Parts: sequence; C-alpha cells; structure tokens
Amino acid sequence: METVTKRLYEALFLIDSGEAAADWQGINDHLKKILERNEAQIVSMRKWDERPLAYPIMGKKRGTYIIIYFNADSAKLASIENDIRLSERILRVLILRGDHITKEDMEKDTPFEMAEKGIVKPVAGAAPVEVAEPADEEEEVVPPITDIDTK
Amino acid sequence: MRSQSFKKKPDRMKKRKRRENVVQQNQCRFCRSKTEYVDYKDTEVLGKLLTHRGKIFSRKRSGNCASCQRKVKLAIKRARFMGLLPFTS
Repeated sequence: METVTKRLYEALFLIDSGEAAADWQGINDHLKKILERNEAQIVSMRKWDERPLAYPIMGKKRGTYIIIYFNADSAKLASIENDIRLSERILRVLILRGDHITKEDMEKDTPFEMAEKGIVKPVAGAAPVEVAEPADEEEEVVPPITDIDTK
Repeated sequence: MRSQSFKKKPDRMKKRKRRENVVQQNQCRFCRSKTEYVDYKDTEVLGKLLTHRGKIFSRKRSGNCASCQRKVKLAIKRARFMGLLPFTS
C-alpha cells in the first residue's frame, strides 16, 4: 500500500549569474517546466539573491539564487530531483521540507528585494560573508582561539 | 538601628537584579531570541559562528546550547553546500 502525501517544499536553486542575466525568463520557464512536469504546484517563485559564491562551483564564481515554494507529492520528489540533475543550467539545488514555513515566511523580503528597496546595503558587493568578528559582548571569559586553524 | 537596616535594602535589590541578569545570559543566543529553526539562508548569523578559516566555532566558544549547536551545524553545512558559506578559505 502506497500512501501519497502532499507537502510543502522549499527549494533553492543556484544558477550561473551570466546565464541568468542573459535569459532570465528562459531560466524561470525552465524551472517551472521541471516542477509542473512532476505535478507540483508552485506557491511562490522569486529571485533570492545574486552574489559571489564562497567557492567556485563548476568554474563559476558568481551565482544567482532562485527560491521556490511548491506543493508536491512526496513520491514525485525523486523524479523532480532526477530532472534537476539532468539539467545543465542548474548548478545546485537544495530541496527541504517546509512544514514549519508560514505564509509570512514565504512573503518575507529576500536579500535581493531588500537591496533593491535600499533597506540594507547589498551583500553582493562584499565577498561571501567575510567571517565576521568573533567576539560577542555576551561571551566573555573565553580563551582566544587564535591557534585552532594554524595548527 | 532602624536607619542601618534601611540602608541595607537597596544593596539587596541590586544583588537580586544582578542575579537575574546572569540567569538571562546563561541561555544561548538562539534560546534567548526563541528561534526554533535556524535558517541556512541567514548567512549573517551563521557567518558569526565561523572562524576566519571557515570552521565552525565550538560550543564553548559560541556559547550555544547543545540542541542549538546541532541546528547551527546543520544550517552551516547546508549553506556550505549551496555556496553561501565557505568550506575553507
């Protein structure tokens, strides 16, 4: 007996920035097609951010992230992942179960939108999270950890 | 006599207040802000929990509780996979 349950999923797609800039609509259609082929209903689909990667992936140094929330059968997820693997336009993808995700979470401003509105200065300019200063005010009395890495 | 006992009171209050503060700080940063799910996309928060080389800070260093440290570990590893955080540098 096979039980099929519909669940909400959150997927973050990583796409080469150059390709995304050249054919933004085409990329969106491509992703939609993959999901709709597997009977997934897209709840929301937005550009998450455009930033330099922490390390080169497939020789690409900059990436565009697209976040998609979709409802799909749990049984269909394997075929969605398979289709994504076969696609050459998608560098990476991370699909997670979104049971905890509320509607407000889905509508929250992405870093890209915040940068566009000018709420926060764009993260993209700075290298991928240049590991912030370690000391926090709350954490006193901790010996400095200078040598962990150099050993 | 009376005046002495009266003077002591504010000191006690101070001590009590201090104790309360200490209790508050004993919780880890995620427990204090009551976050149930550490999001892997939140690179600003996760970046603070990495060394300059991109290693994850120990619990002793970060001050996280065990369950929050596990959540952070998972989130950082997801972020690394997506190229949001470095494996090394």
